[in-house]
Amino acid sequence: MIEIEIDGKKFQVEPGKMIIEVADDAGIRIPRFCYHKKLSIAANCRMCLIEVEKAPKPLPACATPVSDGMVVHTHSARALDAQRSVMEFLLINHPLDCPICDQGGECELQDVAVGYGKDVSRYTEGKRSVKDKDIGSLVATDMTRCIHCTRCVRFGDEVLGVPQLGTIGRGGKTEIATYVEQSLDSVMSGNIIDLCPVGALTSKPFRFQARSWEMEQETNYSPHDCVGSNLHIQQRRQKVLRVAPKENEAINETWLSDRDRFSYLGLLHEDRLAEPLIKQNGEWKTVDWQFALNVAAEGIRKLIDAQGGQKIGAIISPNATTEEMYLLQKMMRALGSQNIDHRTRVTDVSDQKHIGAFPGMGFSIASIEEQSSILLIGSHVTHEQPIIGHRIRKAALQGSSIFAINLENYQFPFDLSDKLIVKPSALVWHLASVAKVLLTKQTNPDSELMAFLADLHVSEEANAFADKLMQFDKGCIFLGEIAQNHPQASAIRYFAELIGKMTNAQVGTLTTGANAAGAWLAGAVPHRSAAQKSVASPGLSAKQMFDAKLPAYLLFNIEPEYDCTHAQTAINALKDASLVVVMTPYVTEAIKEYADVILPIVPFTETSGTYVNVEGKWQHFSGTVKPFGEARPGWKVLRVLSNLLDLENFEFESSLDVLNTLKDSVDGILGGHHNALELPSKMNLPHEGLERITQWPIYRTDNLVRRAYALQENIVNTIPQIYVNNALAKKLACAEGDLIVVSQGQASVTLPLAINDALVDDGVYIPAGFQETATLNELFSPVTIVRS
Amino acid sequence: MPDLKNLTLNFGPQHPAAHGVLRLILEMNGEVIERADPHVGLLHRGTEKLAETKPFNQSIGYMDRLDYVSMMCNEHAYVMAIEKLLGITPPIRAQYIRVMFDEITRILNHLLWLGAHGLDIGAMTVFLYAFREREDLLDCYEAVSGARMHATYYRPGGVYRDLPNAMPQYATSKWRSEKETRKMNESREGSLLDFLEDFISRFPGKVDEYETLLTDNRIWKQRTVGIGVVSPERALALGFTGPMLRGSGVAWDLRKKQPYEVYDKLDFDIPIGVNGDCYDRYLVRMEEMRQSNQIIKQCISWLRANPGEVLLADHKVTPPSREHMKDDMESLIHHFKLYTEGYSVPAGEVYSAVEHPKGEFGIYLVSDGANKPYRLKIRAPGFSHLASLDEMSRGHMLADVVAILSSQDIVFGEIDR
Amino acid sequence: MKKIVQIIKSFTLWELLIGMKLTGRYLFAKKVTLQFPEEKTPYSPRFRGLHALRRYPNGEERCIACKLCEAVCPALAITIEAEPREDGSRRTTRYDIDLFKCIYCGFCEESCPVDSIVETNMSLYHFENRGENIMTKPMLLAIGDKYEKEIAESKRADAPYR
Repeated sequence: MIEIEIDGKKFQVEPGKMIIEVADDAGIRIPRFCYHKKLSIAANCRMCLIEVEKAPKPLPACATPVSDGMVVHTHSARALDAQRSVMEFLLINHPLDCPICDQGGECELQDVAVGYGKDVSRYTEGKRSVKDKDIGSLVATDMTRCIHCTRCVRFGDEVLGVPQLGTIGRGGKTEIATYVEQSLDSVMSGNIIDLCPVGALTSKPFRFQARSWEMEQETNYSPHDCVGSNLHIQQRRQKVLRVAPKENEAINETWLSDRDRFSYLGLLHEDRLAEPLIKQNGEWKTVDWQFALNVAAEGIRKLIDAQGGQKIGAIISPNATTEEMYLLQKMMRALGSQNIDHRTRVTDVSDQKHIGAFPGMGFSIASIEEQSSILLIGSHVTHEQPIIGHRIRKAALQGSSIFAINLENYQFPFDLSDKLIVKPSALVWHLASVAKVLLTKQTNPDSELMAFLADLHVSEEANAFADKLMQFDKGCIFLGEIAQNHPQASAIRYFAELIGKMTNAQVGTLTTGANAAGAWLAGAVPHRSAAQKSVASPGLSAKQMFDAKLPAYLLFNIEPEYDCTHAQTAINALKDASLVVVMTPYVTEAIKEYADVILPIVPFTETSGTYVNVEGKWQHFSGTVKPFGEARPGWKVLRVLSNLLDLENFEFESSLDVLNTLKDSVDGILGGHHNALELPSKMNLPHEGLERITQWPIYRTDNLVRRAYALQENIVNTIPQIYVNNALAKKLACAEGDLIVVSQGQASVTLPLAINDALVDDGVYIPAGFQETATLNELFSPVTIVRS
Repeated sequence: MPDLKNLTLNFGPQHPAAHGVLRLILEMNGEVIERADPHVGLLHRGTEKLAETKPFNQSIGYMDRLDYVSMMCNEHAYVMAIEKLLGITPPIRAQYIRVMFDEITRILNHLLWLGAHGLDIGAMTVFLYAFREREDLLDCYEAVSGARMHATYYRPGGVYRDLPNAMPQYATSKWRSEKETRKMNESREGSLLDFLEDFISRFPGKVDEYETLLTDNRIWKQRTVGIGVVSPERALALGFTGPMLRGSGVAWDLRKKQPYEVYDKLDFDIPIGVNGDCYDRYLVRMEEMRQSNQIIKQCISWLRANPGEVLLADHKVTPPSREHMKDDMESLIHHFKLYTEGYSVPAGEVYSAVEHPKGEFGIYLVSDGANKPYRLKIRAPGFSHLASLDEMSRGHMLADVVAILSSQDIVFGEIDR
Repeated sequence: MKKIVQIIKSFTLWELLIGMKLTGRYLFAKKVTLQFPEEKTPYSPRFRGLHALRRYPNGEERCIACKLCEAVCPALAITIEAEPREDGSRRTTRYDIDLFKCIYCGFCEESCPVDSIVETNMSLYHFENRGENIMTKPMLLAIGDKYEKEIAESKRADAPYR
């Protein structure tokens, strides 16, 4: 500890800190443009010049480390003079754009110019102008306004790990540009909007919409991934206009993924349903709530009287709030049905009773950075959970080793120490091999296990991979989307746990949707009611419900053709059902084809509720804007529907009422841990031949994101095509763009071919979440390809 | 013997002599007032709270609407409070302009008061004459600010624009010959100062005319002499200021006692009364108009001789000129920020008062360092005057209440705020 | 002597006669009133009356939706909505002034960086139906188009002072 003095106040600080950090901690304001606490120090704007006694000239506070006995003046005449002069330089080439610039009013350049600059310019010569760059659908550029702080450049290099922007030219001709004329292709590129201190990089969808002072902001939480990023919803006159990150060091730091930032664009999509609809004699009629709810309640009542409660199935979106999950499961169970599930994409639920309070992580998001090794299983983590991906990158930068067992050699922004790229049916096999290698190196291996794995042939690669894994010190294993949706998900979980136990690593599941943890805790699973109470006879999972062709379904906030595994089976089951009540913010022709009653509910900005993130953190929010039209928050709809069904104990007055009822019973339950999982019954040999690989592309994950036009137009968004690697394309004698037919059992789709060399041989990647691919059923299964 | 009770009379709030929206509950014993209970608040617009929700400059226009017959004087107290907190002094020319317009405002106010007072007591003619003179002064208001009443002309750091060098002129019409029109435009040939000079040369004669009609008039005197007498001690105790206090014989005037702007450089006298009745207050106000006329005259000759800046050139507080705003970056940024966020005022509290035509009009301003007031308190002279109505009218006849009320020169804009 | 004069004056209603003489003179003097509406009082070029939105001489609307007027309006009378026009320029899609809220302080005109929103010399207007107090963008532009000559003249006259 050394002592320094800033503006007459003495501080005890750690050596090595910069003056600006000490000043920021103490609340002493030093103007700055290039300095950002999450980025490296560039010291190129010179705005933070301050006076240090005994120094011959003013020094930049961001790049001057503290030393013992240093005396700093941030507001002395000399410092202010230096700052004023720097400001004058910065404004020389700045265009007179304030009135048409979106940054106006929230512009650091304006604020600092008023606070520290001169009030009249002495500059009369011409100003330079710079050509704007087209860098994609999310970020608008006005490069003439750039003051070359290089925050965006450093963000790409350091945070994203993908150099996206750079400086070209020198001196007065310096420009920020993309290396090649290309769009930003990162899933977190929107953060450069926040970083840019001027109006050079602004939000394209928000362009010219509003001024910062017109909007009111409320705290909310990301409705798309299990991280629960904290965000500010900014609205004006009851219309959400922008989403910005809310700083939370423990979760999203100062960042936000593009999906969370721009999905608001789907909130007022033309599909939004304003009033309840019912189908009468094959025709859709707009009706009032009373009528629609009565029709729904009557239909449910009649069906139960005729066939019993267990003939109804309810499927709720994993993005629904905990309150909605709780009410829906309570209603279903009161009606005598255990058929409730939120796991729309999951096929294999055979080990569900062994899963802890909820699948998640037993460690905090922030602690990912401290792991010395991380193993990813079936996970495109940067696309599934961009913020987790960023934390893993930070861990990698600090020296941890990252391993991956995947179906595609994804372009991660960090180096992998080793990887196994395998086909879907070989995933379990390879995991088992790795486990076997690790097992043999144990001093006292479990003999039962050894016997089970005896016949397993271990490949060279797996051997080497396992060897490296042995060096795990403090580590974690992540189960990604593929691992969870895999037809042998329970076996994957078993071996992941086994590997974890042997390498001293914790296993975390990166669940789909914003509130999978909330769903488990609230009881939106067929085998447990709220707060982990096991039920006597478990109901059906989402997939089983559709397989069973029930006569009645309640769908909450999902579009089965996009959101469910076995989409075709689901659609068929819904079409055959005698009663389908759909609660959804958006109505489409597809929904109208199978629904009988459509009740308009609201997306996350218009309701109050709670999300529980993957760490088990409960984050409650209140509604930001009024519901659209006559649409109502889901929890209210469920509450009234339950009342109409004459169910008891549904007298909730607010979503907080619901939350408190639930929270009282679950307080203190930690998630993430799997209890004794069971050994799989047998090991399937990998399938020979081509196999389908399916994932939900980052911007096709839920009904809100799918309607956000800027994300759909973004270069990162996947196009519905059939992706194979070069070798396979050659074998098929097809070129990029050729129409080809993929058949899976009875079903087939015809789509253009696209080459992705990162894919495993024999893997055919067909993205889910598209109309074009909804006719296929199984996510990971053998397929045949022919040229159309 | 039946139980006799005082008659309770509801006076206003729609009574023409209630000066706006005063509701007065009068308890009377026959024609004699036993108790007068003024009810206020019917014109409450929350000006203080309104001002606390917006940047400093945006509330200037709301100050006009406090005492809506002495617009610029209200503004004056407000901008002076901000200037004190900011520690800035407007250019000397701006100070002269402000003083000149304060005095114009005083004449405007007293003319309206005179007309209304006469009307209340039953003299119709003087009302029309007073409004004739008001027209010329309102033209001056319009010439500098663009509005005939709610000027929004004073700004922290000076006044918004310099005095114009030309006055708008009458157009010819079929109702008047060219010669007649030319005659009407005679006073409008030159600058605003010329126009004003012409007015002040005529105005003392006009005041003489009012006095011819009223001062010696027996009816006028019967209605005012000995009505609503307030002793100097009581006047001080009741918190009177302005002509109300001076009418009772206390020589108190902020322009003399705590000179602000350039009043200490000007030559004028403070008239005081002897008896403290309605008649003395009338005489004091008539003399004040003559004194104001005198002050305006001095301001005109100074302003003619000393052209210069009228708004401080510190663009952290005052907007840059439009020419600069359109072609230099610093000015544009300051223009943008001043018109959106405004300026931040150092934390502190300040009380600033002006000698308003009605008395001491004060603004108590607390700043927490933000761009809007933390607290704004308006000290309206009329409030304490109205509060004494009970004491002043007790024992008088019903008709005297009207005379007392109008001699207090009540305007509800400032009382209810 | 003084007392006698006072008594005489008192009995002859002297001060009343003097007053009557004054009013009698004005009875026959030239009227100071005007024949409205054929005649009007002159308007200062600074006059703050009805609002207008102006265009450039080439017909392009001046307003660039910077929203300074909306921000500075003390009465919150201005409501603006904006989005990129087809050519990519920043334009308003809605520009409403509620004349019931407006206090005619002139701040909108002061704040406008492109001299688009102005207060004209027009003070004579009325509403006949509910809702007409909201001046929409087309209405404001129409006023601007109609009175552009007068507006330009007033602005030119006042330009040296601003």
